Amino acid sequence: MSEIDTTADTQTAEQSTAEEATTEQSDEPEIVLEVQDLQKSFGGLVATDHATFEVERGTITGLIGPNGAGKSTIFNLISGFYESDGGSVIVNGTGVTNMEPYEVAEQGLIRTFQTPRKLEGMTVREAMLIGPRNQPGESFLTLFTNPDAVNEAESANLADAQRILEEFEIDHLATQPATDISGGQMKLVELARAMLAEPEILLLDEPVAGVNPTLRKTLAEQIRRLNDQGTTFLLIEHDMEFVMSLADPVVVLNQGSVLMEGTPDEIQTDDRVISAYLGGGT
Amino acid sequence: MSRLDNWVDYWSDLTRAEQGVTGSIALFAAVLLVGLVTGGLNPTYFLFLVGLAGMYALMSLGLNSQWGFSGLINFSVAAFFGIGAYGAALMTSDSAPILGGFDPILGLVVALSLAAVMAVLIGVPTLRLRADYLAIASLGLAEVVRLLVLNERQWTNGSGGVRGIPRFFDGWPVLSTFPQAMPGLEIVIILGSPIELGTPFYQMLLNISLVAIFVGASYLVLRRAHRSPWGRVLRTIRSDEDLARALGKNTYSFKMQSFVLGSVIMALAGVFYAHLNLFVSPGDLNPITTFYVWVAVILGGSGSNRGALFGGIVVVTIREGTRFLNEFAWIPFDTAPLRLLMIGVLIVLVMKFRPQGILPPQRELIWPDAIEGSETEPERHTNQQPGGDTNE
Repeated sequence: MSEIDTTADTQTAEQSTAEEATTEQSDEPEIVLEVQDLQKSFGGLVATDHATFEVERGTITGLIGPNGAGKSTIFNLISGFYESDGGSVIVNGTGVTNMEPYEVAEQGLIRTFQTPRKLEGMTVREAMLIGPRNQPGESFLTLFTNPDAVNEAESANLADAQRILEEFEIDHLATQPATDISGGQMKLVELARAMLAEPEILLLDEPVAGVNPTLRKTLAEQIRRLNDQGTTFLLIEHDMEFVMSLADPVVVLNQGSVLMEGTPDEIQTDDRVISAYLGGGT
Repeated sequence: MSRLDNWVDYWSDLTRAEQGVTGSIALFAAVLLVGLVTGGLNPTYFLFLVGLAGMYALMSLGLNSQWGFSGLINFSVAAFFGIGAYGAALMTSDSAPILGGFDPILGLVVALSLAAVMAVLIGVPTLRLRADYLAIASLGLAEVVRLLVLNERQWTNGSGGVRGIPRFFDGWPVLSTFPQAMPGLEIVIILGSPIELGTPFYQMLLNISLVAIFVGASYLVLRRAHRSPWGRVLRTIRSDEDLARALGKNTYSFKMQSFVLGSVIMALAGVFYAHLNLFVSPGDLNPITTFYVWVAVILGGSGSNRGALFGGIVVVTIREGTRFLNEFAWIPFDTAPLRLLMIGVLIVLVMKFRPQGILPPQRELIWPDAIEGSETEPERHTNQQPGGDTNE
């Protein structure tokens, strides 16, 4: 946790949440996300087969597995986009099984998508401003009954957006159309936007897929920085080098269930993992 | 001098689309002015057309807040218009089969509430589903409402329609007698074709002020909503609903709000129509209205309130303006029936050469006071070229 002190001069809200995370750690559950016995099948295809794993606060947990192992399905089940056939999902001690995505997000679990989502007709900073949760201006009535509160929150959010864009070193894109930036930049914007939602745990679905090596390094640095500031990560990624350098622990998924969990070194030397990746099955 | 500079600054700050639209509006206004001054265009009839334009503008604004903001496909514009018109008519008319005789203000409230309730009823089952289900359901609703109005004679008087609707300002102090109290004027600018301003003219003037209030109020509400975080969530839903959901937005609730808001504004157009025409019949619910309004919104530029206003006016101009074409003897065929064709050709041309519409949103939509407080100026979308600078 000493890393937090070295970045202490980088000001304001982000910092305070990080400090809160440090100081209040004793009151909050050590396990941010708990997946128990989760099941899902599509017709005859069992996509998630009694999967159980946990994500500890403050970690970057990797979720890997061969194609078709059910990684994206688990993400969709956790974040409420799919309804599970059985099992439970607990975020921060609160059961969120089969809740709507927005209700899961309210518990502090935010996710990104594999393919960057394009927001037509918006500039990058407009697209960023969707991030903050519970904005007073999102209530239609408040727009007319209390415009000052809307203005105050919007000014603060705009400043936050600008600051986070600067931290991600993409503030020069702020007024570019959100559809005109490169795929890698979109990934950065998506990560930056998710941070505006102040997540307790952030689920990243293939954050570096289709991203050039330079931006890939930047993304890894950013994820590490945000993790140091107190955000917990769960990420799916096919790029082994990326996962193994970033994540600890790593959860290996095969045919819908958890094959094993361990440090990157343990995973890389495990025979079961190797045979799963080579198509041997279990 | 400085005022001139301000104007020059203002003009060069407009985007090319804005300059074009401003220019053509000015040109069109000039043509109308010539028509009025020379007596070719009857002022009372002209005001009636302005009223129609306002009515279409209201419906376009309503549809824009559904389709343009949130991407909701509503094919029952005519039904919500009809609910507004019949709601107001049945509440206020002396000869209505049910209710009747209430104050127009009460009629307005009841008509709008009815539209809101109907929007919720159609929204509850469809807004959780994919967008196309709402389209199908609303298409059905439009016919159901029209057939109900046509066949439930004991409530609506069926195909006979509802007569005896009072004017909106009847019973108000001063305003109810204003048209009669105003002196009749006869202005002669060109000899032989005097312009008469009598009671009907002032009557129509009152109607126009009513629709101006409706349009102005709706526009201001929508403009504020569009630039707000609320509008931003709707625009996110339009582009990618899953993204909005993943970021913790209750998209069902947002879509419902957008749908109800738009439907209420469409009903407002119906209320105005009832008090303008003083007679409503099931024919007013014909689905063609829905498609005129869709043309208006797409033509103006989906998602833009100004575009919706502009599109509504253009559609009325084409619809009504073609009536005059027959006066030009050198056109060798009957042009009036071609207006549908003209609207079709127009929409094809727009889609081909300017698919985003004539006046799509031109600038960033962030709460204006907040952006003024930040160090950076509001930006244009860079895909909109400014018209002033040509030296790039």
